[in-house]
Amino acid sequence: MTRLSKQTLDGNVETLILAILEAGPSYGYAIVKELNQRADGILQLGEGTIYPVLYRLEDKKLLAAKWRLAENGRQRKYYRLISKGRKALAANRRQWQILSTVMRKVVGSAEKLSPQPKLKGAML
Amino acid sequence: MSRALQKYLDQVILYTNRKEEDAAKIRVELEDHLRQKITDLQTQGLPREDAIFQAIEDHGTARTVGYSLRKGFALLDVRTQGTARGFIAIGPRAIGIIAFGNVAVGLFAFGNFAFGTLAFGALAIAGLLSLGGISLAPLGAAVGLAAVGRGAYGMIACGGLAVGLRVPWAIDGVSVLNGDNGLQFLQHFRTHEGTVALIAITLSFFLIFPIMNGIMCSLKRNEYLRIEKADPKLVE
Repeated sequence: MTRLSKQTLDGNVETLILAILEAGPSYGYAIVKELNQRADGILQLGEGTIYPVLYRLEDKKLLAAKWRLAENGRQRKYYRLISKGRKALAANRRQWQILSTVMRKVVGSAEKLSPQPKLKGAML
Repeated sequence: MSRALQKYLDQVILYTNRKEEDAAKIRVELEDHLRQKITDLQTQGLPREDAIFQAIEDHGTARTVGYSLRKGFALLDVRTQGTARGFIAIGPRAIGIIAFGNVAVGLFAFGNFAFGTLAFGALAIAGLLSLGGISLAPLGAAVGLAAVGRGAYGMIACGGLAVGLRVPWAIDGVSVLNGDNGLQFLQHFRTHEGTVALIAITLSFFLIFPIMNGIMCSLKRNEYLRIEKADPKLVE
């Protein structure tokens, strides 16, 4: 079974989070859940490790955060993508598309690889 | 709230080593996350106790999560595992202005493997002065069982303190650093007075090592005691 290595993920988790938040404000647990759903089980984040990334994005002013009262009566921190974050996401997306094209051309498409590797969840 | 959950959060916060106000906010956020996860797992049919332990397991070990939530480059970062980063960094591996650890990288580095401007250790590689079993200082003085450095060119060797190698590229005329470059001042140390001064400087550096070593060990011990006080089982 093939595992996505931490090195492969490093540097891309920020982009993944920015992409999730593009749809609208959200909070830690919901972001992790959405990420796991969209990744279709291939990517399984160590859930606690998402917070340092969120704080880092907040420090870089790519996200804004606000505490609000949740429906369960607890205080909850919501993160929202702001202008600088949108620009960063667009730039990262372009970079990823270029890299993806290069990898596909040089390494070959996944279909050509034999035998087809089974992907297992990667932990951050 | 579950005692296991409470204990886990206590441990995470212990490792974050943040100010009380910041720590409280982090705790609220993580607790909200874990509670929601537990609720979700219970909805899927897991008994409450199992759901709590599953949620904690999926969240990551307290140490990993806690350390990852530390400030990027703190004034003082002491870690019992992993890489410490700070103005003063102490850990098994340490990166800082003053670094102390199994592997230490900094302006002043102390460790089994030390890399820095001043490096002290079993294997010490330094720009200015290195003291260690195997000591490399291409631009400065190296003192050790095997010492390779500019020091062999006219500093330490003349003072008779170096026990080691005098490598070919440090010999006048062969070295790329010889002649009219900025390091020509080292020629001063070829005189008798210069040699005496050099011995004095070197000895003073030797004195720095045990003092710094003592301070660093004390800071490291304090961190262990802090963790042990919270939960003795956390200290191996």
